[in-house]
Amino acid sequence: MRTVKISDSFLPSSVRKRVTPRTLVGIGVLWLTLCFIVPIVFLLYESLNFGEGHLLANYEQALAWTYINVLGRTFVYALVTTILTLILGYLTAYYIAFKSSRPMVLLALVLLPLWVAIIIRFFGVRLFFLQSGPVQQLFGTDFGILFSRNGVVLGLISALLPFAVLPMYNSLRAIDDDLINASRTLGAGQFQTLRSVILPLSFSGIVAATLFVFILAAGSYLAPSIMGGPANNMMANIIADTQSYSIPLASAMAVVFTGLLLILVGLFNHFANVSEVLGDL
Amino acid sequence: MLEVTGLTKTYGSLLAVDDLSFKLEQGEFATLLGPSGCGKSTTLHAIAGLREATAGTVYLRGEDVTDVPTNERNIGFVFQHSALFPHMTAKENITYGLKMQEFTGRDHDEQAEHFLEMVELGDHGDHKPTELSGGQQRRLSLARALAYEPDILLLDEPLTGLDRVLRETMRNEIKKIQREVDVTTLHVTHDQAEALSMSDRVIVMNDGQKEQEGPAKELYRNPQTEFVAEFVGKSTKFTGTAASPSAGGDGDGQVVAANATAVNVGDLQIHAAAAGGAADERLSLYVRPEEIDVHETPGGGDAVNSFSATVNHIEYLGHRNEIEATLEDGTNVTAYGDAAVDVEIGDEVTIQFDPEDVIVL
Amino acid sequence: MRARLERLGFIPPLVVVFTLLLLPVVIVVVTSLTTQQSPAIPYDGLTLEWYVELTQDRQIVSAIQTSVVVGVFASVLAGIMGTVTAFGLVRSEIRFKESLATVMLLPIMISPVIIGIAILRFGSSIGVPTGYPMIILAHSVLTFPFVFLIVRARLLTFDARLEDASRTLGANGLETAFNVTLPIVAPSIVAGMLLAFVISFGEFTATQFLTGVGTDTVPIYIYTQIQTGLSPVISALATALVALMIVTSYLGDRIT
Repeated sequence: MRTVKISDSFLPSSVRKRVTPRTLVGIGVLWLTLCFIVPIVFLLYESLNFGEGHLLANYEQALAWTYINVLGRTFVYALVTTILTLILGYLTAYYIAFKSSRPMVLLALVLLPLWVAIIIRFFGVRLFFLQSGPVQQLFGTDFGILFSRNGVVLGLISALLPFAVLPMYNSLRAIDDDLINASRTLGAGQFQTLRSVILPLSFSGIVAATLFVFILAAGSYLAPSIMGGPANNMMANIIADTQSYSIPLASAMAVVFTGLLLILVGLFNHFANVSEVLGDL
Repeated sequence: MLEVTGLTKTYGSLLAVDDLSFKLEQGEFATLLGPSGCGKSTTLHAIAGLREATAGTVYLRGEDVTDVPTNERNIGFVFQHSALFPHMTAKENITYGLKMQEFTGRDHDEQAEHFLEMVELGDHGDHKPTELSGGQQRRLSLARALAYEPDILLLDEPLTGLDRVLRETMRNEIKKIQREVDVTTLHVTHDQAEALSMSDRVIVMNDGQKEQEGPAKELYRNPQTEFVAEFVGKSTKFTGTAASPSAGGDGDGQVVAANATAVNVGDLQIHAAAAGGAADERLSLYVRPEEIDVHETPGGGDAVNSFSATVNHIEYLGHRNEIEATLEDGTNVTAYGDAAVDVEIGDEVTIQFDPEDVIVL
Repeated sequence: MRARLERLGFIPPLVVVFTLLLLPVVIVVVTSLTTQQSPAIPYDGLTLEWYVELTQDRQIVSAIQTSVVVGVFASVLAGIMGTVTAFGLVRSEIRFKESLATVMLLPIMISPVIIGIAILRFGSSIGVPTGYPMIILAHSVLTFPFVFLIVRARLLTFDARLEDASRTLGANGLETAFNVTLPIVAPSIVAGMLLAFVISFGEFTATQFLTGVGTDTVPIYIYTQIQTGLSPVISALATALVALMIVTSYLGDRIT
């Protein structure tokens, strides 16, 4: 351990006085505003029609039936993914937290895929069901997974499971073992204990998992594009496609989609603090 | 060495320290004693410059240091729970202070070794703080604060979180080392036993104000306020108003507590509120447990201040017993009974104390 | 007995979960060793020829170079901004602190497609060229929340008394920052930057809009190959990437 001595005069006192935590927040906010918020707001500007016709003409188009259809599909896929991922994730988190004799190994295995680029994991899922893959070799069929709705949802579940397991495991781990013991000594059965003690106490983890999985699933571009067919395109794909021929329309769709998601996040924030919840990661 | 005048600290509308003044002489060991939230810790932090005071002045070595930054005050500070740097070894924790204070009295390495030896950590110089036991961490924290020979040592509840036995040994060690290096010390605690056993002088604080200051013995014997009487040491409390001499049965002064226990306090003439006495001053009487005798025979007695009581709690301390008993008027009495006094819960006993042992406030 | 039965009941869902999590990665690794011309399970012998080809394909080597450059710059930028913001937010007493912290996480919540398009459109309009500048900016925005979260979590548990202790020991503000605060927080900053590097290295969705001539990143290359026709070289490339990222994560773990 080397320590350094720095004279007070190293920085002029005017600079020292000005570098307060507030200044630091200011730097961060300014940077994020310039590189992220302004570009997003710029999309909002681009979605407006300043030419002939209605100012919101692009929105009329963006809310046309075909796009509403895709929007609906996006939310349905995201919802189904969220429900299935949550169930599988909770069972896994519960097992690791309470039943496993090697919790750290299992947890590491859950987290390992997070370090592997998502495109590679989708590629792996696809290889699995491809003509040359083990499933078709063994069974002669891909069970209708490839290039279908099922494929997209399967890919999403596979990609998002770690985001469900991690926060739920953390909240389960945080439950004092004695609370569970107390419930048992008070005469509650295993299921009763799960329902009246463990589930309510792990609620924050469930909320975090729901938020993560739903947001990431709804915004996914790669899952439909690698695992699905043209009929399974989600909003991200449609926006990307549209962008190549009509920026205003793509912008309008992006605004509608982002607006809806942010409203959902806002509703979420109402009964669970999002920044705290995401801090569980 | 240290002088604080008119120190005031407010947090919003909350007055944490209210116009506090006191003084420490060279080499003195003083303690700020008070319940949590009384402003004692805030005072210590203001002396160290870690918190800015709202008003008031701090003098160190006779200089006004109120606006001097912490790192230029040349103080030693021992924090609650040690605050040792986890990324440095025990020795590095000590040399850090030597280097930052630009200590020139001696080679830094030698000085660090010397202080490690002093706190019996000579063999632990290379250990990280997490590898040390709770007691060792506190000793290292003390060594770190003393190694660069500061003008004053500030101790902020340094024994918090240690178990009772360890706290008692640590008290003696701190006191011993403090004497050895002869450093002026200001100690903050809410533990009255700690304050009484370590300090030359105790400053009792309550609600941001100084209640009383003096040697431990004096605080115990002659508390000046009800707060001090109740906070420092155990006692039995009677309340009532003074009686005029004629109203009392024995001619001497007495007080009538809530349900008519007449307490004789010698020269003072006191009467019960219940009797509607002319004197309207409400008084509190305190009797220390060691001044109260417990007799196994029930029914009171002829002696002055001799009352019948029912034992409701006994704590066996070995050489003596702490006995709690209830008088007929409901007053709770705490007394130390000789180990030979053989009473049990529910027994009728007689308690007695002398008028001159009553503290009247 | 009952306990064992209960544990047995967990086996089916656990098998499903770990299959879904790990098999995709395993199959990528396995198919990179095939002797056939497409990424298949190697039933009849193993070969490393695809790894040799990997190093000889100029497009792949260029993509790896691009990804490394982007990853390094983006993670450093995200590391600096994330740390600065986390310090500021944790240490200051400002109103709407929690809401501001939530705003910092918006780049995770908004679809990367939209972030990509937004940065492309706004960047072009003010003259930022596509290629490195835009990709690096986009990646630093996308990874910024992760650094912010990790550093903030560390700072929230940081014992402020250590800084007080340093001050009483004679250190000024700068000395305290460099000798006490930074060494203790540094592992979290580094871990955040490594995570940022790994995310940047694997990012496809936003990047697809921002590449310029000769700045295809590895995921862009892989995606094109998946769409146009499959060679086991892709599996080999993906495997190499997996190895790199796992080594990175291991380093991150060692540090923190």
